[in-house]
Amino acid sequence: MATYLYLSIIPEALVASMLPPDDFGLYYAIGSAKRSRGQAIFFSVDRDALDRADFPLDEIDARCVPHPDGSPKLSIYLSIYRVLERVPREALTALHLATDDGRVLTVKPTQFVPDGENRAHLYQEFCPVTPRIVSRLNPAEFGASITDGSHHVSVPRIAFAELTLGNLKNNAEHPDVDNLPYPNIGHLRDCLRELAFGSDKATKTVLRQMTDEVLFRTIRNGFFVADADGITAFPLPSRDALEREHLAWWRSAQTTFGH
Amino acid sequence: MPIWFWLVPIASVVALSAAYGFFRHMMKESEGTQTMERIAAHVRAGAVAYLKQQYRVVGIVLVSLTGVFCVLAYVFHMQNPWVPFAFLTGGFFSGLAGFIGMRTATYASARTANAARHSLNHGLRVAFRSGAVMGLTVVGLGLLDIAIWFWVLTAFYGTDDSHQVVVITTTMLTFGMGAAVQSLFARVGGGIFTKAADVGADLVGKIEAGIPEDDPRNPATIADNVGDNVGDVAGMGADLYESYVGVILASAALGAAAYATHGTDVQLKAVIAPMVIGALGTLLSVVGVFFVRTGEKATQKQLLGSLARGINGAAVMIGALSILVMWGMGLDNMWGLWLALLVGLLTGITIGRAAEYFTSQGYAPTKRIAGASKTGPATVIIGGVGEGMLSIAIPVMAVVVGTALAYFFGSHFEFSTSTMSMGLYGIGIAAVGMLSTLGITLATDAYGPIADNAGGNAEMSGLPPEVRERTDALDSLGNTTAATGKGFAIGSAALTGIALLASYLEEVKIGISHVLERGNSYRFPDGSELVSTAQDQLQALGLMDMMARFEVVLINPKVIVGMFMGAMLAFVFSGITMKAVGRAAGQMVDEVRRQFREMPGIMSGAQDPDYARCVSISTRAAQREMMVPSILAIAAPVLMGLVFGVPGVLGLLAGAAAAGFSLSMFMANAGGAWDNAKKYIEEGHLGGKGSEAHKAAVIGDTVGDPFKDTSGPGLNILVKLMSMEAIVVAGVTVAVHLV
Repeated sequence: MATYLYLSIIPEALVASMLPPDDFGLYYAIGSAKRSRGQAIFFSVDRDALDRADFPLDEIDARCVPHPDGSPKLSIYLSIYRVLERVPREALTALHLATDDGRVLTVKPTQFVPDGENRAHLYQEFCPVTPRIVSRLNPAEFGASITDGSHHVSVPRIAFAELTLGNLKNNAEHPDVDNLPYPNIGHLRDCLRELAFGSDKATKTVLRQMTDEVLFRTIRNGFFVADADGITAFPLPSRDALEREHLAWWRSAQTTFGH
Repeated sequence: MPIWFWLVPIASVVALSAAYGFFRHMMKESEGTQTMERIAAHVRAGAVAYLKQQYRVVGIVLVSLTGVFCVLAYVFHMQNPWVPFAFLTGGFFSGLAGFIGMRTATYASARTANAARHSLNHGLRVAFRSGAVMGLTVVGLGLLDIAIWFWVLTAFYGTDDSHQVVVITTTMLTFGMGAAVQSLFARVGGGIFTKAADVGADLVGKIEAGIPEDDPRNPATIADNVGDNVGDVAGMGADLYESYVGVILASAALGAAAYATHGTDVQLKAVIAPMVIGALGTLLSVVGVFFVRTGEKATQKQLLGSLARGINGAAVMIGALSILVMWGMGLDNMWGLWLALLVGLLTGITIGRAAEYFTSQGYAPTKRIAGASKTGPATVIIGGVGEGMLSIAIPVMAVVVGTALAYFFGSHFEFSTSTMSMGLYGIGIAAVGMLSTLGITLATDAYGPIADNAGGNAEMSGLPPEVRERTDALDSLGNTTAATGKGFAIGSAALTGIALLASYLEEVKIGISHVLERGNSYRFPDGSELVSTAQDQLQALGLMDMMARFEVVLINPKVIVGMFMGAMLAFVFSGITMKAVGRAAGQMVDEVRRQFREMPGIMSGAQDPDYARCVSISTRAAQREMMVPSILAIAAPVLMGLVFGVPGVLGLLAGAAAAGFSLSMFMANAGGAWDNAKKYIEEGHLGGKGSEAHKAAVIGDTVGDPFKDTSGPGLNILVKLMSMEAIVVAGVTVAVHLV
């Protein structure tokens, strides 16, 4: 049986498993005997791209072996603290998004191309910190800013996603926010107003930390992993492609309750 | 036999032939892919398993009650000897109509989904014409049953004597009770089944496991789809079959009584007029079915317009042609009765529109409930209850105005007690007018669950987005027609209840007549007495005379006690059925949890869930849980009659009708509004899917499920069944009562 290496970002952990991504996502989302439940977001990791000094990679071969009955080993936790910063972006070969009920969507990394729009952005950070931020910066600029070591507040590497702002992206006063599921829209408007008129700050915190699951339907453009050297994008398929090619995942993704 | 009578069997044959033609046409369509076929087969098997079990239970109840009626008729001579047989045929035909409709629906859903792969119009046509099989079967079998019994009884009794005509019509009225018992089991049992499955599927599948609606991994999803068929197709069909035959027969009985002194020729015309109007409406319903079609890019409004074209077309045609038929029949007070018929048609349309206004997300009440979800589930519940209570104003006023106008037109344009029986006949004709287009209105009701199941099949089979868009549009249309259909069913039950109330007094006269025939005298509660030879005096008693002799006045404690008991029964019945759904849903929740726990391959799709077990749990729960409300409905009029006699029974029926109609409308509309408030949010309002508002609305929808699909529709059957029961056991009430 093959062995796979995954970097989970909720919670942050490097995990070895004998399950391929779809099965691992199912297992990670709904558990085995304990029937736990919750969405999972994890990357496939290229083992060869990791620094052996950072992770006990030798243990994978020793511990990640089939059970006596021949069933695959589900998970071996190799590291659970400050993991993302030690996994280079180049090692992340795919992103897997598992819904509450274990449906998995896999997206491949691409080079980030800015859309050139001058608009507000809403970012949900996942790892290593989890605030929700509004910003004037595009994803590349935002990633560079948050991983800039010269800033007082920075992290070495960050995983985040851009969320839709709907009609608020260009107008914080727009009355039609009907399909935005975020709590306290009034506060979101305040943050956007402050961003637009109030100060020279490029970012503003909307929520200090993620308290609930993120609704995949609110993801705009996709997920990003950024550090001081650059950014890697993991764009979600178009709505039409989700409807046609990934229907099962898309339906499950819309069943979740969250923020 | 007047020649116009033959229109009744002809219309019956035409309706049944058209239904068969539509069925054959639908069966020629393909069920689509193997997955679509497999899903449809699961639903079909579950539905048949449920109906087998239900018919077994109903069969036992029908045979037992037939035995009781035989004893009352042949041992104690308290009842007409035809009653046991009329009772059985009513139950049989009602069950048969529900069975045919449900079988058709379960064959049609996959075919509708597959037809939607070609075009929206094709999907609409397959679904609607399959619904028409149900509608036309109900009216066809109803008219067949009426025609056969009328022909047999007139051949047996003859029509030379006006009293014999009264006996014929009141005898026929009793077969409505068989239909009522059948419909009670179908509606309440089906309602408990479908909501146990629906709530169970939602609570564990969607809320706990995060599985989407209509996902084949959910063990209760097939039971949920089965429930749509047994509740909304078989249940609705049996319910409206009973309303349909009940209102025609009650009107015939009222006509026989109203024109008893006008000679048998005039009297017979009054008796067959409701049947002929029903027959005419049936023929025009067949025509109306062909009016329903739509374009490929039709909006929701245009789809609604397509269905409305069929229904309104049939209604306009019956409005125009009925005047010719009444003229051709040489009916007494032709213009008055025609106006009464129009009043009935308009009352039905008003009630349907009111239900649509209060339950559709296109209008303010449902949007207000959705808006309340921003502040949590408590305000959603409060908002739904409030809007639901307000929603009964228009339907009740429509029935009140319709009743008053129909009475006025029927009684030669005056509000005199001297023409009361004719006024009541006018009310009966209005009720017949309202139900005259049942063939096509019921088609739109049965269309709803077919489109719903088609949508589920399309989702489970993973059909392309453009196909699912079409099935979603058809499903959404079905939600609206389901809400208006329920309003129509409840409204028609109210008018039927009023007509049956008046017919009850005629049946009481027959009961007293049996007492006199046995050589006994009969003493009324007011102290007056009829000796055994006073049959002519008895027949000469008008409705007001009967009310006076039985002291049916508001200050009579027997009447007041009856009214309070009737109102109480409506609430107790609702409470029992609500709790029944809660218990049955609890069992379903346990079973779904067990399957997820013990069958780990379900979630990955490696293992099929045990759908049959969920169907079986819902079936057993439905049969068990419907026994208490059924016994309550059947026993109440008998016990009230045995204790307080005729005044008590009239009070009971009046109280149950007033409270039951209002409560039923409230529950159906509140439940429908909660459902659509959730859908409104899911369409992308107030935060859309997954938001806090959505979560609150889901709770409102779950609370509303047994409101709109179990207790609400069950109440109108309670009202009708108690009226029918009172009519059937009137002989016993007259002969034996405590005070």
